[in-house]
Amino acid sequence: MSETKTHSIDISAMQRTQQPLRIEDEKICLSVEDLHLYYGEKEALKGIDMIIPEKKVTAFIGPSGCGKSTLLRCFNRMNDLVDSCRIDGKIRLHEQNIYEKGTDVAELRRRVGMVFQKPNPFPKSIYENVAYGLRIQGINKKRVIDETVEWALRSAALWDEVKDRLHESALGMSGGQQQRLVIARTVAVKPEVLLLDEPASALDPISTLKIEELIHELKEEFTIAIVTHNMQQAARVSDYTAFMYMGDMVEFGDTNSLFTNPTKQQTEDYITGRYG
Amino acid sequence: MSNEIKMKNKSVTEWVKSGDPWVWLNAGAVAISVIMVIGLLLLIAVRGLGHFWPADIVEATYELPGDSAYNIVAERVESVEVPAAQLREAGVNVGEHHDIMMRTLMKTGNRDVYGSDFRWVVDAYVTDTKRPEMLFAAERHEWGNLYGYLKAVKEDGKIIAQTKDLTPTDSALNTWDEFEKRIDRATAIHDEIYQVEKHDIGKINYALERIRLEQRGYELNNTFTPERRADLDAERAQYDAEYKGLQSKLVDLYQQINRDSFIVQVMDGSEHEIQVSKIVRAFRPNAMGIVAKLGFYGAKLGEFLTAEPREANTEGGVFPAIFGTVMMVMLMTVLVTPFGVVAAVYLREYAKQGLLTRIIRIAVNNLAGVPSIVYGVFGLGFFIYFLGSGIDQAFFPEALPSPTFGTGGLMWASITLALLTVPVVIVATEEGLSRIPRNVREGSLALGATKAETLFRVVLPMASPAIMTGVILAVARAAGEVAPLMLVGVVKLAPSLPLDGNYPFIHLDQKFMHLGFHIYDVGFQSPNVEAARPLVYATALLLVIVIALLNLAAVTIRNHLREKYKSLEM
Repeated sequence: MSETKTHSIDISAMQRTQQPLRIEDEKICLSVEDLHLYYGEKEALKGIDMIIPEKKVTAFIGPSGCGKSTLLRCFNRMNDLVDSCRIDGKIRLHEQNIYEKGTDVAELRRRVGMVFQKPNPFPKSIYENVAYGLRIQGINKKRVIDETVEWALRSAALWDEVKDRLHESALGMSGGQQQRLVIARTVAVKPEVLLLDEPASALDPISTLKIEELIHELKEEFTIAIVTHNMQQAARVSDYTAFMYMGDMVEFGDTNSLFTNPTKQQTEDYITGRYG
Repeated sequence: MSNEIKMKNKSVTEWVKSGDPWVWLNAGAVAISVIMVIGLLLLIAVRGLGHFWPADIVEATYELPGDSAYNIVAERVESVEVPAAQLREAGVNVGEHHDIMMRTLMKTGNRDVYGSDFRWVVDAYVTDTKRPEMLFAAERHEWGNLYGYLKAVKEDGKIIAQTKDLTPTDSALNTWDEFEKRIDRATAIHDEIYQVEKHDIGKINYALERIRLEQRGYELNNTFTPERRADLDAERAQYDAEYKGLQSKLVDLYQQINRDSFIVQVMDGSEHEIQVSKIVRAFRPNAMGIVAKLGFYGAKLGEFLTAEPREANTEGGVFPAIFGTVMMVMLMTVLVTPFGVVAAVYLREYAKQGLLTRIIRIAVNNLAGVPSIVYGVFGLGFFIYFLGSGIDQAFFPEALPSPTFGTGGLMWASITLALLTVPVVIVATEEGLSRIPRNVREGSLALGATKAETLFRVVLPMASPAIMTGVILAVARAAGEVAPLMLVGVVKLAPSLPLDGNYPFIHLDQKFMHLGFHIYDVGFQSPNVEAARPLVYATALLLVIVIALLNLAAVTIRNHLREKYKSLEM
């Protein structure tokens, strides 16, 4: 992408933010302390320190392979599924280290929900997709589930589109609808944090716009961390942005200043499109 | 000239390059396979289904050169060409001017009179062939078919109707009507006797055996108190009384059924008196129109499918074999599916993927290639002799020394076949599990589901079509398997079905019949090979149909599941 184009979009996005944000004023939701992650011998995260502020949108940007998705997957211990993966350091969710022995990983994942790059609805009905997390928790009262499903679908701005075909297969929906269904499914279990791993990268522009609008609404209730390849998107949706490079956290600050006045040369090179 | 050759070479090279030869080769291979399969099915269908058609009976004069002429009454079976020299060697005095002669196999029936059912005749010396309307064929409970003219019908030794005519005159037809009426009556009584013997007396025998085992059990425990003895004796006395009642009823029925007899004139002109109760059905094929023949054909086919075998399996139906095959396959499916799925889930989902799992996987794959008779030997040695006799000693000591599970039976046969087919299910299930997209599993885990919850709620339902594919392959293999079954529980004639009205209804310890073994037994162990040959084809066709139906059922289930969990590849 060209340099000028990047800047023009960024600045228009910046203008939305009225109050300058200060990380010191925020309540801390997640804090990362000296986090190292190894895939076998390879060190993929090299000592990350940062905080994720509560009820704000934090974006992770950086070139491919920089470790931003890996870091995101540390927040709900998704990396546990990778056999060769080893983690040192701490991540605190409201003061509690999630890597402590004896942590209930299933409960952690309920509290820290995640939406993946590709929409991954289950081959069940739309209703059952949203109800899945509730049923897992042993909630079986139809009235409760009905209410939660409607609330979750409304939260994901999907209710009006699907309310007449709740019991049809979720696999018949469009890609954008499927991704919003997955968000609704995640929201339905009332997590504290929403992790979005490039949620719009497999979608068309219209669907992308809808997801971005949705993120704006969801941050009223949830702490959101989003990984994106798309810098304009980061600028449009996030309050804070972290720039990562080769497993290091290069720069972290409020989105406005990171995009308009980066302190590190690497950051400036990346956001101006000189590499990456 | 050389230029021309070059051109030709070039065009051949180009033809090869274009890929056309490949297409032709592939299409040819497919065509040959299809033709062979269709040919196979057609052959067994024609040979098998033709057996039930009521063939005409011919009467002819047969005179070999240098021999005296005699009368022959028979059904044509098949004709073949033979070199005259071969006939001469066999002692048939054929003329010098013949090279090749037609020879026909004739079914003359009347085994009780002539000693054999079939004889070969040389067509050239058959003269004066007729198809008289009054010639009749009768299927009998024993001694095979009877062919001849009806002369008289008797009741209690007194002649009721008789005729001297061999043509359809009034007296001949009257006698025939009388004969048919009496056959119907005898058949009804025969059915009643069958009911009493098989069901009522069978039930009493079963109960008496149970009482005997109970008593023996008490004796072994030293708890056979006088009160118990009195109880059992009373029970036994009750059954004995019931048995006595049935016994006298039977005697009465036998007297009734043996009331009628008839006189038949066979092909050499001699007359024989035979009891009507011996006849299953009698018919005059030469007098039947096409509709009557079709009706007869349907009835015969129905009998084949629903009746029990007669005469060392060469006559009657194969119902017990159909039942045994289907039941054994179903039982095997019920056993193999959970076992294979659980093993595959462990291998794919829980076991640490390393050298050991690789070795296990290779071993499982190779198990599918072990010859089936080896499984039979294993089933006999391990299941029957080791497990079975252990079970007998622990749970059925009162029946010893006669074994309960220590001998071949439905359960051991099903387990042996389940073992034989479990690799197929494991491989197919593993394949299915590996195809479930990672992101769907992660989606479930990310919602706070545990691994087990993910497995049961998402992964296994999505893998169910693949599991069904494994089951289909397992059914296809198991249903046609015969060799191991011969060691672990199949018999040529089972006294009763493994499912009946006697508690506990399903008798897993019982021996059973199987279509595959039935083919072998009828075709190669039968005393009357010629008579049994069409049945071999008919039974083979039936086996193919039964397997096809079992597979069709499984395929239907799989397609339904596929529809439900379709578009896995997103």
